[in-house]
Amino acid sequence: MKAEYVNPFYIAACDVFELMLSLHPKRSSLKAVEELINTKEASVVLGVTGDLKGIVIFSFPKEMALEMVKIMSGIEMEEIDGFVSSALGEIGNIISGNALTLLSKNNYKCDITPPQILVGKYKTFSAPNEKSLLLSLSTEIGEFDISMLLKEK
Amino acid sequence: MWKEKYKIGVELIDSQHKELFNRVYDFLSTMQSKGDWDEKLEKVKETMNFMQEYVVVHFNDEEAYQDEIGYPEREEHKKVHADFRSTINNYVEIFNKQGFSEELVQQFGAKLMTWLIMHVCKADKKIGEYAQSKGENN
Repeated sequence: MKAEYVNPFYIAACDVFELMLSLHPKRSSLKAVEELINTKEASVVLGVTGDLKGIVIFSFPKEMALEMVKIMSGIEMEEIDGFVSSALGEIGNIISGNALTLLSKNNYKCDITPPQILVGKYKTFSAPNEKSLLLSLSTEIGEFDISMLLKEK
Repeated sequence: MWKEKYKIGVELIDSQHKELFNRVYDFLSTMQSKGDWDEKLEKVKETMNFMQEYVVVHFNDEEAYQDEIGYPEREEHKKVHADFRSTINNYVEIFNKQGFSEELVQQFGAKLMTWLIMHVCKADKKIGEYAQSKGENN
């Protein structure tokens, strides 16, 4: 997959984190990986359809996920319950929606499917012969990943 | 839940936003409080109704303010409010049909919280910027 698809997600993530959480993500690494693996406890999985097809996964460590929802709600969170996972789903949705708006400026017209939230460390998706991109972003409250496998139709 | 950075610089709207965030906070903290769901359900419903009523009051006042200052993007903003009102109404319909399950109420709470923060930080900030450019601070 092309690296140019990554930047809109990076820009959108920085923008949404700054607006909603007052956090400032920094790119800590970008690598090509054989499989889409979520190594962190809370993952938001979104499908992309249209000119680009594929999947985007946001993966957050547990403590970071709880802290993000605390920043927004002002309430201490103890576990990844329905409220925390729905809130993460909304964040993933907003970031992806904004990223697709940026991509549409490069003439890629895409839609996203509703977020699915996975709690726990899974080895979820693999695509034979396809390399995925794994972008790790560090913030003041922890590091999270955006994994992407997007192809032009 | 309310943060100073959410201020848009228009006193009427800022004070209503503060009130709205406080009501959302009450709703969310009741929802997230420890205890058996069925036992706290009455209180959850009460805080939810209280908050929903205020959303309508606030949207109406904010729209009237945009008309008053001739905000150029007011029609677009009204549409965003209308869309969110229908999101809320859809949930109310589901709650009435399927009952107030903890999972659905939490999903609703998360949508409401994230929508509100994003909307105030992005769309409402622009009203404030326009008001200031016109010298209409309050």
